[in-house]
Amino acid sequence: MLRHIQCNRHYTFSKQITRHASTTVSRTAIHDLNANVNALVFTSPETTLSKSQDGPLGNIRVAVKDNICTSDMPTTCSSEMLRNFHSPFDATVVKLLKSAGADIVGKANCDEFGMGSLNVYSAHGPVVNPHNISERRSAGGSSGGSAAAVAAGICDIALGTDTGGSIRLPASYCGVAGLKPSYGLISRWGVVSFADSLDCVGIMGCKVNGIKTTFGALSQYDPKDPSAATPDTREKARQACSLAMKSYFKSDSLNGLRIGIPQEYFPSELQPNITSSLRRILDALQSRGAQIISVSLPSTPYALSAYYVIASAEASSNMARYDGVEYGSRVNPPPGADNTKTANVYAYTRSNGFGKEVQRRILLGTYALTADAFDNYFLQAQRVRRLVRADFDQVFAVQNPLSNVKTTPNPQGVHVLLHPSAIRTAPSLEEKEAGTSSLDDYVQDVLTVPASLAGLPALSVPAGLAEDGWPVGVSAVSQWGYDDLVLEVGKAIEECLS
Amino acid sequence: MRHIGRCLLPVRRSFSQYTNAARAVKEDPRWPGWGVVIGIEVHAQIKSRRKLFSSANTSDLTEHPNTRFVPYDAAFPGTLPNLNPRCVELGIRTALALECQVQPRSTFDRKHYFYPDLPSGYQITQHYAPLATDGSLQLSQGDAKVRIKQIQLEQDTGKTMFDPRRRVSSIDLNRAGTGLMEIVSEPDLRSPEEAGDYVRTLQALLRSVGSSDGNMEQGSFRCDVNVSVNRPDAPAGTRCEIKNLNSVKFMMVAITCEVFRQIELLEKGLSVPQETRGFDEAKAETFSLRSKEDAPDYRYMPDPNLPPLLLDQTYIRDIRKSMPELPPETRSRLLAQGLSERDADVLMAIDMGREVGYDGSLGHGAVAYFDTVARGRDSKIVVNWITHELLGQLTSRKETFKENKLSAEQLGEIIDLVQGKKITGTSGRSLLRHVLAHNSSESPTKLAEQMSLLVSESDSTSLRTWCKQIIAEMPEESQAIRNGHLNVVNKMVGRVMKLSKGRADAKAVRTTLETLLATK
Repeated sequence: MLRHIQCNRHYTFSKQITRHASTTVSRTAIHDLNANVNALVFTSPETTLSKSQDGPLGNIRVAVKDNICTSDMPTTCSSEMLRNFHSPFDATVVKLLKSAGADIVGKANCDEFGMGSLNVYSAHGPVVNPHNISERRSAGGSSGGSAAAVAAGICDIALGTDTGGSIRLPASYCGVAGLKPSYGLISRWGVVSFADSLDCVGIMGCKVNGIKTTFGALSQYDPKDPSAATPDTREKARQACSLAMKSYFKSDSLNGLRIGIPQEYFPSELQPNITSSLRRILDALQSRGAQIISVSLPSTPYALSAYYVIASAEASSNMARYDGVEYGSRVNPPPGADNTKTANVYAYTRSNGFGKEVQRRILLGTYALTADAFDNYFLQAQRVRRLVRADFDQVFAVQNPLSNVKTTPNPQGVHVLLHPSAIRTAPSLEEKEAGTSSLDDYVQDVLTVPASLAGLPALSVPAGLAEDGWPVGVSAVSQWGYDDLVLEVGKAIEECLS
Repeated sequence: MRHIGRCLLPVRRSFSQYTNAARAVKEDPRWPGWGVVIGIEVHAQIKSRRKLFSSANTSDLTEHPNTRFVPYDAAFPGTLPNLNPRCVELGIRTALALECQVQPRSTFDRKHYFYPDLPSGYQITQHYAPLATDGSLQLSQGDAKVRIKQIQLEQDTGKTMFDPRRRVSSIDLNRAGTGLMEIVSEPDLRSPEEAGDYVRTLQALLRSVGSSDGNMEQGSFRCDVNVSVNRPDAPAGTRCEIKNLNSVKFMMVAITCEVFRQIELLEKGLSVPQETRGFDEAKAETFSLRSKEDAPDYRYMPDPNLPPLLLDQTYIRDIRKSMPELPPETRSRLLAQGLSERDADVLMAIDMGREVGYDGSLGHGAVAYFDTVARGRDSKIVVNWITHELLGQLTSRKETFKENKLSAEQLGEIIDLVQGKKITGTSGRSLLRHVLAHNSSESPTKLAEQMSLLVSESDSTSLRTWCKQIIAEMPEESQAIRNGHLNVVNKMVGRVMKLSKGRADAKAVRTTLETLLATK
C-alpha cells in the first residue's frame, strides 16, 4: 500500500551530500511504486544508474516532465499527437542535470502539452494522488506526474513546467514543495512550448533544500533561449537579492522581514479550512519577528481571464506545427475527401491527435487572435498583464531588476507575499471523470496565474493537512530575481511546521 | 535589453498619406485619358551565411533537397528562434541605402496560415513595428523618386513540389527560414517602364551593399505588384495585386495587361473588384487567384519568444560607416577621376553581375579592380587597358570578368613597363595574353625578361640591323618607297615588328626605315 508514503523516503540535501536514497531505490522498486500512481510514463533503463556520478546532483534521482525533450527517452507531452515522438536532442535542463550527476529515472505524466490543472487530460491516463491512493484524488496539473513521483518516493527531485500554476498546484495537492522560478532564469530550449511568454521550467522536491541545490545547477544563462535573462541582469538581481537576504535572515530571527498578505487572494471559492492552515503559519512566522502586512493587488480579479486569453492565444499558435508532416502522428484524409485546402488535410490529423482540452484552447486562442477580436481580447489581456505586473512592483519594497526606470523603493512595501497555493485540497478524480464544467478547472488557477503573468518567482510549500486529511500548500512570491529569498522563506515555513 | 514576461503592445501601422508626395498622373499614348498607379512589394532574400533564426546554412539551388536544415527549421517541438545579427546588419545596410529611418525599436510577429512548406504554421515577420520606414529610391531614368514605405525582416518558406502524375507533394526545407527583406514602395510608379526601372535600380542597390544577390530568375528576388487605373484628377482606383512575377520583363508585360483589363472593365461601366491575381506568361494575361472576401485572416500575434529588436544610434552609425559605396556615388566618383560615361558604364555593368558574398562581404568586381590598378596611376590609361585590352581578351577567350586570372598587381606592372618605355605597347598586350593563357602568377617584369620583350640599350643598333635586313629582303617595296610610295612603309614596318618579336617600337621602326631608304 502506498498510503501516506509521501516524503517518508525524502532525501536530505546538505552541503555534504549523502547518497543513500538513490542506491536503495532500484528501477524495479520504481515500477512498483509507480504502478498505482501513474506518475511516470517512461522509466529509463537501469544502466544509466551504474556509473557513479559526481557533481552537485550526484546520483540524485530526478524525474523529468514529459514535455521536456530527451534524446534517449520518448517525449510525448501526454498527447496522441506525439505518441511515438523521440526528440533528436536533449533540452538544456536535461543536459545540465546530466552534467550535475543526476540520475534521470524517467519521464513524468502531465496534462497534454501542459494544458490542464488536474492531470486528467493525458494520453497516458490520469495521475492518482499518492497521498492516499484509495481515495483516488487528482494530483493536480499539469505537472501532476512530477509532483506525484516526488510524493510517492519514486524520485528525489522532479522537473515540471509552470505556465499558470502547473507546478504550484500539483505541489500543493500532493504535499510537496514546488518552485516556479523567475521567468527567464532556467532555459526553455528543449521545453515544448505551450505559451512561451509564460512557460517556466520549475523544480519539485520534498524539501526546499533539494530544490535550492537543483535550482543552483539549472539557473544558467543559455544563449539558445532568446528570452533568457542575460548574465548582466542575473548578476544585478543576485546582488540585490543577497543584500536583502543579509538583512532579513539573521540567525534565528526574521526581524525586519515584511510579509504581505494580498487581500484579493481569498476569493469566495476558497475552502475555509485552507485559511486556517495559512493562519497557523503566519502566527509562527510572526513569533519569529516577521511583520505581517495586508496588501492589495487590485488587478488580481482580472488576471485569470487575461491569463486564459494570452495562454490560449500563444497555445493556438504553438500547436499549429502539429500537422503530421515533419513528425508526430498522422491521419490521412479518407478517399474522396476535399483536399483543396491544406487545412482540410491537416484537420484529420489534428482532430485525432489533440485531446478535447487542447482543442478547446486552440479554438479559444484562435478566436482571440482573429482580426475582429484581437483588440478586445488579446490587446486587452496584455493591458491587464501590465497592470498585474505594476501591482506587484508597487507592493514590493525592492525594485524590479528588469525595470530600466530608477524608482525609489517603497519603504512601506513588503519583501514577500504569502497566500494559499490553491483554493482547495486535491479534488476527487471520480468527480472529474463524472464530468464537471471546465470553467471550474480554470478557477483552480486563480491564485497562481498572477505571478505567472508577472514572471515572478513563486514557491509552494506544504502547510500541513486540512481537516479532510489532505495536504494544503502555501505560496511565497517575491520580486523578479529574488528566487533565493523565496526559497529562504520556504525554509522558514518548513521550520515552523517541524 | 530583454523583456521578461513582456507584453508587447502592437502599434498599428499608420499609412502614409498617399496624396502627400504622390506623383501626378502621366498621359500615356497607350491608354489616353487614363492614369496608372503602381506600387511594388519586393521580397529579397538576405545573402547571409546562416538563416534568419537558425544555425542552418542558407542554400542555393545546387544543394540536394533537405540538406540544409536543423530541427528548428522543421519546427521540432522544443526549438526556439535565435536572431542572426548578420541579417539585421544587412537589413540596416539596405535601409540606409534606401534613405529609410531605421527604427530604434522593432518587433517580430507571427503570421499564421497552414501550408506544408511552412512547418511551424506561422511565418515570423515584422507586421506591427517594421525595421525601417520612410525611405526613397531615385529611378535611373528621369527624375522620379519613389517613396519606400517600409522594410521588414521575415522568414522565407520551404518549397513544395507537386508531382501531378503521382499526385504527391514533396517538401524541401533548404529554403525554410532563410532571411527575407520585404521592401514595400508607396504607389508612386506611373508606368510599366517605371516599374521595371524601379526593380532594376533596387536590384543594383541591394547587390552594391551586398544584402542580396537580387536574382529574380532564381527566386532570390520576388515581386508582387499593385496596379490601379484612374481618370486624371479622379481618386486612385481599386487596386489588384499581381503575385509571383519571375522576371522584370514579365512584370512589365503583366502590368500592361492588367492596365488594359481594368480599363476595359471601367469603360464598360463595370467596377474593378479588389483581388489577388496571378499572371499567365504564355497567354499574357492575369487571372484571379482570390477575391478580397477570401483573404485569409493571418491572426498576427507578437512573437512571445523574441524580445523587441532595440538598435542604438552607435550601432547604426557603425554600419553606415562601413557601408559599401552606392551605385550613384561610384558613378560620380569614376567620372570625377576622368573616366568617360561609357567607361564608367562598362565597369559598373560588369559589377551588376558580380558575385555577392555572404554576410555582406563583396566579391571583387570590375570597379574595385580598376580602383586597385588606378592607385598611383593615370586613371584614363588604366581604364583603357581594362576596357580595351583585358575585357577584349576575356571576350575572345569566352571568359567572364569573374574568371579573369590577371591580377590587379600584374596589370599595374604591365602598364608601368609600357609607360616607362621598358617594353612596347605590343609587348604589353602579349604579356597580358600570356598571363591569361597560362594562368601565370609570375611578375610581368620577369616574364618580359624570359620572353626577351624588354627594350634594351642595344636595341637601337638592333633596330637598324632589323630594318636593313628587311630592306634587303624586300627590294621591290624598298624601291617603291624610294620612288615616293610612302604607304608601302606600313607593310615593311609590320615585317620589322615581326622580326623583332614586338620589341621594336613601331614609330622608331618607321623613322629608321624612312631614314635608311632616303639616304640610299
